[in-house]
Amino acid sequence: MAEKTKRKIAFPMVARYNEVVRYFVEEGLHQTYIMQPKMTRRTLKLGVKYAPDMVCTPFKTILGSMIEALEAGADTLIMVFGYCRLGYYGELAESILRDLGYEFDYLNLAEYTTGKNKDYLKAVKKLNPKAGAVTMGKAGLDGLKMMEDIDSVEDYYYQNCGFETTKGEFRKALKQFMHDMGKAKNRSDIDSGYDRCMEKFKSIPIDKGEFPLRVGVLGEYFTVMDEFSNIDLEQSLADLGVEVHRWMNVSHRNLHYPGEKNLHPRISEYCNYEMGPTSTANIWYAKECAENGYDGLVHVKSAGCTPEIDIMPVLQRIGADFKIPILYLTYDSQDGDAGLQTRIEAFYDMIEMRKKVIH
Amino acid sequence: MEDVYMGIDVGSISTKGVILTKENKILSSEYIWTEGNPIGAVKKLVRLLEKQFDKENYRIVATGTTGSARKLVGTVLGATVVKNEITAHAVGTTTFHPDVRTILEIGGQDSKIILVENGVAIDYAMNTLCAAGTGAFLSSQSARLGIPVEDMGEIALKSQHPTQIAARCTVFAESDLVHKIQVGHTKEDIVAGLCQAVVGNYLNNVGKGKKIQSPVVFQGGVSKNIGVVKAFEKQLGCPVIVDKDGHLMGAIGAAILARRNKKRSVFDFNMEDMEFITREINCGGCPNNCEIICVYRDGEMIDSWGNRCERGNVAARKAAKLMEEAE
Repeated sequence: MAEKTKRKIAFPMVARYNEVVRYFVEEGLHQTYIMQPKMTRRTLKLGVKYAPDMVCTPFKTILGSMIEALEAGADTLIMVFGYCRLGYYGELAESILRDLGYEFDYLNLAEYTTGKNKDYLKAVKKLNPKAGAVTMGKAGLDGLKMMEDIDSVEDYYYQNCGFETTKGEFRKALKQFMHDMGKAKNRSDIDSGYDRCMEKFKSIPIDKGEFPLRVGVLGEYFTVMDEFSNIDLEQSLADLGVEVHRWMNVSHRNLHYPGEKNLHPRISEYCNYEMGPTSTANIWYAKECAENGYDGLVHVKSAGCTPEIDIMPVLQRIGADFKIPILYLTYDSQDGDAGLQTRIEAFYDMIEMRKKVIH
Repeated sequence: MEDVYMGIDVGSISTKGVILTKENKILSSEYIWTEGNPIGAVKKLVRLLEKQFDKENYRIVATGTTGSARKLVGTVLGATVVKNEITAHAVGTTTFHPDVRTILEIGGQDSKIILVENGVAIDYAMNTLCAAGTGAFLSSQSARLGIPVEDMGEIALKSQHPTQIAARCTVFAESDLVHKIQVGHTKEDIVAGLCQAVVGNYLNNVGKGKKIQSPVVFQGGVSKNIGVVKAFEKQLGCPVIVDKDGHLMGAIGAAILARRNKKRSVFDFNMEDMEFITREINCGGCPNNCEIICVYRDGEMIDSWGNRCERGNVAARKAAKLMEEAE
C-alpha cells in the first residue's frame, strides 16, 4: 500500500454496521469515510455480473457494494475475513476489481491473521501512519460501544415493533437512531443517541397480549443480519405480530463470544466438534430457544453455504426432540419476495394455530 | 336465505372454486385451467359457479382466495380473506379428515408436505429448488411422449418393469428420459418410471427429514394420477388416501377460512362484467427500481403492490393519474 496521508476510505455494506466503521475512520484515523448508497437491486446485479456464479450471495453483494463505493469516490477499501470461504473473499474481490480496471488501495485484514493483536494495529496503521495509538484506541472502544448499541437497539426493535398500536412509530425511532449514529463525533453523542432511542422505544404503546408468539431467527452470519439480503425477513415476521429474537450479531459472535469451549458442553448430545464458523453457536441457540419454549425457529442461509447446510440435520433433530417447528430458508440472488412471503405467512399461521391449541 | 361462503384457489396451472355451506356441504364447485391468465380464469370460474348456484335461497357473505395468484384475484373479487395455499390446504384437509397425520400435496409448480398432530399443522416444507417432481414436469413429459396427462396414471399401471429415471433435476430427467426412449424402453415402463421419479424426488427433496405417519392424504392436481398414488403407497408402505374433492381442498380451505374470519362482504357476481387490467410500472425512486403491479377496475386503480418502501406508493399514484389523463 502506497504511503499517503489523505485517504477516502470505504467498507462494504453490512447490515447497519457501516456507521461503526465510519466513526472509527473519521475519529480514530482522521481520514475521510465514503458511505456508498444502501444496497439495492443494482448492487446485487453488479455483483452477479462480475462474481463467479457458484460463490455465495454475500460475496456478490459485497463486491457490488465495493464497486458502488469506488464509484462514490473511495480510493481505499477495507475488507474483513472469516472462517469459511469469507477468508478467501478479500483476495478474490481485489483481483476482480483490479481486472475491471479500478485503481485503489486495499487493506485485506485476512493478510494480518497472525493471532497477535498488534498485527491488526500494524494493518490499521497503514491507513494513516500518523494516527496516534491513543486516539485510535479510544475511537476503537467508542466504535465497539456503538456496535453494541446498534445491536441492542435492533434486538429491542424486532422484539417489539410488531405490537405497536400506531403503525410506524418504531421505524421512525430506529431511523432517528441511525441518523444520530451517522452524526456521532464522540462518546457522548453515541451514548445520548442510544439513551434517546431506548427511551423513545419504551414510550411507544404496545399491545402484546398474554402469550405473544416468539420466533428465534438463526443462520448464516451475513444473510441473517442483513435485511437487504434476507428480504426483510425479520420485519415481515414482526409485522405479522411476532416477537423476533436473534442472537447472531457482531457483538455476540465476535465481541462477547463465549467460545466453542463453553458452548460445546451445552450441546454435547447433538455435536461434539466444531463444524464451521457459526455452526456451534447456531446449534446452541436453536436448543436454547427450544428449551425456553419459543414457538418456532427460522434458519437462514445463502445457497451453497456449506457450514449452514451441515447443521440442518442437527436442527431437524432438535426440532423433533423439542417439537418446535423450524422453517428453512435459502436465499440466492432472486429478488421476488412472493415465495418467501408465502412461506413466512404459512409458518406464522401454523405456529399461531398451534399456540391456540396449547393455551 | 342461508349464508354461504366462497373459496377460490388460483394456481399456476388450474383455477378452482367452491361455494360451501356452514355444514361444509359443497353447493357448487368448478375446476378449470388457468392458461396464464388468472383474471380471465377467475371471471370464467365465477360465471360457471353462478350457473350452479341457487340465488333464491343462498347468498355468499364472505370470500376467501388462495394459490399463487391469491393477492391479485383477492383484489379483483373483493375477497374478505387472502391466505397462503399451505394454510388453506391444511385447514381444508383437517376439516374433512380430522385424524390425518401427513398431507402430501403436489401441484402444478410446487409441492409441499404438511405434518399434522391433533388436527393442527405442526411442521411443513415446500419445494425450494425448482419445479422438478411437480405437475409441470409430468405435463411437459406427457407432451413429449404424445399422451394426454390425464391418461398417464392408467398407462403407468400396465407396466411390469418401471424404467429408472434420474429425477433430481428436470433437465437431467429429460435427457435421461430421451436416452431411455431411444434405446427401446416401452411407453408404459417410461410412464411408470416417471411416476416413481416424481415420488422419489418428492420424498428426497420436500419430504427430507420429515417423519411421514399414517393416515396420509394426498392431494393437488397430481393426486389424480393413479400411477403416482400407487408409487407413493409402495414407497411409504401404507395406504394413501385421495379424497374425491382433493383437487378442491385449497379452495375449500379458503372458504372455511373466510367463514372463520369476522369480515363480511356480500358477493353479487357482478364483477363478471367489469374490466380488470394490470400494469407493471418501475418505481424509479432509487436504483432498486421496484416493479410495482397496479390493478385497475374499469380504468380506476384499486390496488398496487411490489414496492419495498413508501416511495412506491407515490409512483403508483402518479402512474394512475397519467393513465386517467390518457383516457
